[in-house]
Amino acid sequence: MTAVSVSGTGTGRTALRLAGVELRLLLREPMVTIGMIGFPAATVLVLAGVFGSLPDPDFGGVAPSDHYFAGYVGVVLAAMGLITIPVHVATHREVGVLRRFRASGLSAGVVVASEIALGVVIGSAAVAVILLLGVVMYDLSAPVDPLGVLGWYVAGLACFIAIGGALGSVLRSGRAASALGNLLFVPMFLLGGGGPPRAVMTSAMGTISDALPLTHVVGGLRHAWLGTTDDPYALWWPVLLAAVSVLFAMRTARRRAG
Amino acid sequence: MTTTLLPTPDAATTASSPSTLVDVRHLEKRYGPTAVVQDVSFHVVEGEIFGLLGTNGAGKTTTVEILQGLRRATRGSVDVLGFDPARSGDRLRRLIGAQLQEAALPDRLRVGEALRLFASLHPAPRPLSDLADEWSLGDLWRRPFGALSGGERQRLFVALALIGRPRIVFLDELTQNLDPVGRRRTWEVVRQIRATGTTVVLVTHDVEEAERLCDRIVVLHRGRVVADGTPASIVDSLGGATTVTFTDPSIELRSIRHLPGVRQVRRRGGQVEVVGSGPVLAHVGARLVALDRPPLDLQARRPTLEDRFVALTEEAS
Repeated sequence: MTAVSVSGTGTGRTALRLAGVELRLLLREPMVTIGMIGFPAATVLVLAGVFGSLPDPDFGGVAPSDHYFAGYVGVVLAAMGLITIPVHVATHREVGVLRRFRASGLSAGVVVASEIALGVVIGSAAVAVILLLGVVMYDLSAPVDPLGVLGWYVAGLACFIAIGGALGSVLRSGRAASALGNLLFVPMFLLGGGGPPRAVMTSAMGTISDALPLTHVVGGLRHAWLGTTDDPYALWWPVLLAAVSVLFAMRTARRRAG
Repeated sequence: MTTTLLPTPDAATTASSPSTLVDVRHLEKRYGPTAVVQDVSFHVVEGEIFGLLGTNGAGKTTTVEILQGLRRATRGSVDVLGFDPARSGDRLRRLIGAQLQEAALPDRLRVGEALRLFASLHPAPRPLSDLADEWSLGDLWRRPFGALSGGERQRLFVALALIGRPRIVFLDELTQNLDPVGRRRTWEVVRQIRATGTTVVLVTHDVEEAERLCDRIVVLHRGRVVADGTPASIVDSLGGATTVTFTDPSIELRSIRHLPGVRQVRRRGGQVEVVGSGPVLAHVGARLVALDRPPLDLQARRPTLEDRFVALTEEAS
């Protein structure tokens, strides 16, 4: 049998092309867009409308509208990581799309890279929508520490894309991913900075909140944006979760390959 | 774009002829205590249509998925185009074509988008317009995958399998969703694929399909090879039973009895029945012409591959 030469077509280029195709497919699924952007946008508008834009001691002395809009950058990333990505990946697995990709020489690395690129694009687009609403409707103040906001945005993005990848790697159907995603997202959203301010939470709620990665991402974003926050913001926690999620996803992928 | 010259094959492979594209030795696949493939060995030679034939659950798809690196073998050696699929699966899969029994594309992905995406995986893909013409996909170009019929999906998958000009293509239950007309048309295209130099590994439970298309067949039953050879040799292994008949009320039977391959000659009314093996029809025909008694109704009845397939699977059960 003779040796065979193989020509590469560029993993990065292939991943970007796949991400482009996947993005078009997501945009053709209106419910995905509504779920990921519409829900946080509607919620933040309601909360900002209820609590107003005057400085409030229950919100650490800042305007509640600023408090919510700054924090909802993290909420959007959590919705993407806990629902959009796992449902997308698990549905692909369920119907045999991942299998078809693999049989055609699309490596797992290319698929993962395309999912990351997809997460960055849709996460950034959703964040842009939220911030645009804040600026246009509530005169959202400029961030005190723009680089800090960027850093916490990247940390949140990495954390929730990794968690989404880990969930997607293990869940076998889109329905299972949707059910588990909502089960994880809704309490995390309510206790992790998307719902009531920390000042009105019970101590049990506060303890649970402290353990949620969203709390720290939202806390970090608020601290960098507003210069103050009552929420904890330990960077190591979302970074650690991201690392554990990546290792878990890799282990699952290896087991499936066997 | 990078080009890598891959290492030479392992020792087991070098024992094969240079035109051997697939070499499988003592393959075994277990899930816990259950063996779904056991001691399977075969090879596929360049340019042939090779069939893996078996009933549902015989281990065909598991075997062919191991060849593509989609599953790992428990034991045995596998070599495809000089690669070990378990170690170099991604690189190998860019050189082969695969139409899977169970796979899909995203429902909202359009036919044209799918072809463009998969073409981008290969350095020199076939022109998409050629593939679209060949597989009647032009009219479906903007149609989403979810709106395609079973036959249309199958045509798209075969086009995707051929898009990278593979040296070898694996077609798993290719015609299972096709109507009889589509089935026969697809058989013709499989022959065309081979005619362009691509080796075909056809996985099927359809005996007629295997008999009509394949140069060589391995019959799998309950994970084991129960027959291996050309369709004709597998039929012959049934025990020879070719029966030649013709009408001649007055011919002397001893003039035929000693012809090569003849086992038995008997008369049934005005008809003579000769039972034998090998090219017995040719010998009987030649003898009758030599005797200047050419019959008008000389014919042979041979057991079919289906007869042999049923016998093999019943024996093995």
